[in-house]
Amino acid sequence: MPSFTKALNSQVGRKIMTGITGIGLMLFLVGHLVGNLSIFGEENAFNLYTHALESLGPLLYVIEAALAFFFLYHAILGISIWRQRKKARPEGYNTYKTKGGPSHQTLASKSMIISGAIILIFLVLHIWHFKFGPTYMTTIDGTQMRDLKKLVIEEFNKPLVSLSYIAVLAITILHLSHGAWSAFTSLGMKHGETSKKVQVGAYIFAIVLMLGFISIPLYILVSGSV
Amino acid sequence: MSKEMTIHLKYWKQNGPNERGHFEEYTLDSVNEHMSFLEMLDVLNEELILAGKEPVEFDYDCREGICGSCNLVINGQAHGPKERVAACQLHMRNYKDGDHITIEPPRAASFPVIKDLVVDRSAFDRIIEAGGYVSIKTGSATEANSILIQKEKADEAFDYATCIGCGACVAACPNASASLFTGAKIAHLNKLPQGEIERSNRVVAMVDQMKEEGFGDCSNFAECEAVCPVGISISAIAEMRKDYMKAVMSGD
Amino acid sequence: MKLDSKVPGGPLEEKWNKHIKDIKLVAPNNKRKFEIIVVGTGLAGGAAAASFAELGYNVRSFCIQDSARRAHSIAAQGGINAAKNYPNDGDSIWRLFYDTIKGGDYRSREANVYRLAQVSNEIIDQAVAQGVPFAREYGGNLANRSFGGAQVSRTFYARGQTGQQLLLGAYQAMMRQVQNGNIKYHPRHEMLDVVVIDGQARGIITRDLVSGELCRYEADAVVLATGGYGNVFYLSTNAKNSNVTAAWRAHKRGAAFANPCYVQVHPTCIPVSGDYQSKLTLMSESLRNDGRVWVPRKKGDDRHPNDIPEEERYYYLEERYPSFGNLVPRDVASRNAKMVCDDGLGVGDTGLAVYLDFRDAIKRDGKDAISAKYGNLFDMYENITGENPYERPMRIYPAVHYTMGGLWVDYNLETTVPGLFAAGEANFSDHGANRLGASALMQGLSDGYFVLPYTIGDYLAKQEPGKRYGTDHEAFNEAESAAQAQIDKLLSIDGDRTIIDFHRSLGKIVWDKIGIARNKEGLEQAIEEIRELREEFWQNVKVPGEKNNYNKYLEFAGRVADFFELAELMAVDALDREESAGCHLREEYQTEEGEALRNDDDYSYVAAWEYKGLNGKLEETLHKENLEFEFVELKQRSYK
Repeated sequence: MPSFTKALNSQVGRKIMTGITGIGLMLFLVGHLVGNLSIFGEENAFNLYTHALESLGPLLYVIEAALAFFFLYHAILGISIWRQRKKARPEGYNTYKTKGGPSHQTLASKSMIISGAIILIFLVLHIWHFKFGPTYMTTIDGTQMRDLKKLVIEEFNKPLVSLSYIAVLAITILHLSHGAWSAFTSLGMKHGETSKKVQVGAYIFAIVLMLGFISIPLYILVSGSV
Repeated sequence: MSKEMTIHLKYWKQNGPNERGHFEEYTLDSVNEHMSFLEMLDVLNEELILAGKEPVEFDYDCREGICGSCNLVINGQAHGPKERVAACQLHMRNYKDGDHITIEPPRAASFPVIKDLVVDRSAFDRIIEAGGYVSIKTGSATEANSILIQKEKADEAFDYATCIGCGACVAACPNASASLFTGAKIAHLNKLPQGEIERSNRVVAMVDQMKEEGFGDCSNFAECEAVCPVGISISAIAEMRKDYMKAVMSGD
Repeated sequence: MKLDSKVPGGPLEEKWNKHIKDIKLVAPNNKRKFEIIVVGTGLAGGAAAASFAELGYNVRSFCIQDSARRAHSIAAQGGINAAKNYPNDGDSIWRLFYDTIKGGDYRSREANVYRLAQVSNEIIDQAVAQGVPFAREYGGNLANRSFGGAQVSRTFYARGQTGQQLLLGAYQAMMRQVQNGNIKYHPRHEMLDVVVIDGQARGIITRDLVSGELCRYEADAVVLATGGYGNVFYLSTNAKNSNVTAAWRAHKRGAAFANPCYVQVHPTCIPVSGDYQSKLTLMSESLRNDGRVWVPRKKGDDRHPNDIPEEERYYYLEERYPSFGNLVPRDVASRNAKMVCDDGLGVGDTGLAVYLDFRDAIKRDGKDAISAKYGNLFDMYENITGENPYERPMRIYPAVHYTMGGLWVDYNLETTVPGLFAAGEANFSDHGANRLGASALMQGLSDGYFVLPYTIGDYLAKQEPGKRYGTDHEAFNEAESAAQAQIDKLLSIDGDRTIIDFHRSLGKIVWDKIGIARNKEGLEQAIEEIRELREEFWQNVKVPGEKNNYNKYLEFAGRVADFFELAELMAVDALDREESAGCHLREEYQTEEGEALRNDDDYSYVAAWEYKGLNGKLEETLHKENLEFEFVELKQRSYK
């Protein structure tokens, strides 16, 4: 039997890990969205939520490290698969066309490496932008905490920022609409009726999730505040 | 009465594995609609030979869609535009007068060009060598009906076993992956009780060999299923992945 | 040359077991020292190579395709017979044997056929154990069907792809041995000659079809499993690369060629549509279970078939053979199709087709029921012809399908050259003058899995283990130079006619005069025409390309050259056989009703031809192996 590392490096292992990390990241996104949406909630909800996260202390580092690991592993696998594809087909076709039918070759699936790369770059900027951005402080119920809400509103009032966010989030719809289906396929889902439903589900999931995220910059841009 | 057409061809010429290839063009004036695609190429070659030129080489044998020899990429689609047929069963009535057709070999590092449109697919043989069999010696089999197999299971195994090994899956895959070919053999044998004993070893060895041969990874494009002349589903790949995971988890 | 069939004595049922008991064995440590060459990787070759390697011999396997998995056995649709008697319908080894002998019109060797029936059951066991996904009943046991007019259901099948599944089973067994290192595997190699040293086959010359290089391989025994010669007709259901070259060149080195005139024509193929036609596609004869065969009664009736009223339709099989009707055997159905077309009643653009009409079956059972039975065949027909068989009758015509003749072999499957064996369609052994449906797969696998592994051991046990003459031996030099000379000659002619053009012309002569029906005058003409065309071929053929590269047309040129010689022998053999038997119909020898008339007194023999030379005309000597029927009574077939 192969060693665990060898198994992870096999073409099956790589795809399974892409799927597992992908599902992990999707779950993270769901959590992230639920948290974010608290900005539309009661006055202090958003800052309380971010403060609660920061109060996790060392546990937060563990979660952050895990997340970073998932992201990086997912990205490295994606890049490595893409590089192998260049090696496996050094000379491309003069003409190439999908045959349609059961094929899942769509704009989304063909652009995974590009959408993925954009998301990766966005991620770095996003963390730098908010996590390591200007630190406004506020006091809620006697506790001093970071006023991230203020920063968010301030930033998303800049059209360039909010429109860039909206654009990247729209691209993420593409990535997820193939990725969410593909992850289950990588984990052994057969190509039958269930698969068709999962593909529809993936589209709905990607669109709903991203509309949720988009709603924040869009709302702030349009209305000036929350 | 049958219709005749003019067809403009553009085909790949490459004198050997290490030579640089290029496209050549030729216009055929009287292509009969009932011709098969390969018969059209026969006619092309007859004209080229009589004109003192080199014919274009392509692989073929049975010309009835079962041997898997032919593997042309026609206007960017493995085996051409029709679903579920091999190039030898594609007929010219699917084209119209004045059409332009580009013919290329399957392009994959693991399928090096031998000449023109003929490629070396021995990588597929080596994947089978790695474990695509049941280790049973001649003469040691038990009475056939002592192994009972549910009809549905046997039918499902057959669906995977029907692979003709043409390599269209590799040709059409944006990653040049051989997962459908490999998965189909694994799924065929692992679905049956006869394949049970070697189930884990088989899947691991064949998946390793697939990588060894330099094929790409599977990104679930399912283009392989779309071009497969016998319609093998990418469920074969799902079966391969499940068996692989089981093999790794069980540690045997 | 003396023909010794080496059939063991004793009762029929015990011959094979007795033989196995008597034959010599090779000790395991000596097996390693022996090398066996197997040419061809179809059912017979693949099965033999795998089985030899399992026994411990060193094997070299050669095939012309890019992979062993592509041998033409893969295209067999219908099924494989075995005497399992699972349906409990009265089948037995004896009945399978008897049906095969009778089907072959009493022109095969009893002992061989009985052995075939005996090992048939083991083949099924073996294939199932390999994971061949045969059709199954709901209870999980193997399903059977009746095939080719048999009265019992003894045919095992895997949808319409039985040949493919059995071949992949053999191929996989072979690949396992390639991985173990017991088989050295040489795809894309074509055998060009057998090397005979001191009267024994000691190796072969091949051409590496990729590099064009000629190669020498030495061995202790050579097995030819290179298939049949149906492509002599140019158009046949054979694969494009199927050829007679290996068998023919062995023949020229001393292996007798038996019964070359026995060629089976399959009645239900898709007709020729034009000159560009490169091959013919067979459709399962199961179609005749529901389809009705007819032609218009009036010559040149070009109305749409559906507009031709019932009384103007000539259901010739139903009228001529009231009891069997559309289900008469292959040879009878083929012959009658040709007869009505020769009378000018044929349909379609070429007039070389008859209708196979499902109108009444659809009316009776409904379109869905017909579609459930034949849907895939109807789709295939529509894909090829562009016509919808649910709405318009199919057009069908006979096509060459299988050749019963081949290298003469004894009971051990050894040719007249010691150490040279022939298996599967390449030998003549089991089908007599006509092969029954679902018996080709059975014979190929029987030879490869269960006969040769025993009999080759008997031969090798008498040889000195590890004896090598070296590939620089004079015989290798001579064989390679001869092969090289022919290649050089073909490339140097640079004439005006292409190989396909010549092959097509040859095919037309063979089809017209040595085809479904033969007569003395036609055969004599055929011999003349073949000689003339052969002469022209060697003066005027145009072979493109280089010898040191992949060159498909150069391969074809060599094969067509051999077909030219074989064709003459077929005519000579057909001329010699002044009787009608099975697929060999001599128009002079028919009953009053136009049925084949055998002459058991004078022609109950295998015609084995010995090559003597070629000087403008082919020189061959006839040797007769008399067929003695100790166990069955000879009867005239009747399907009235």
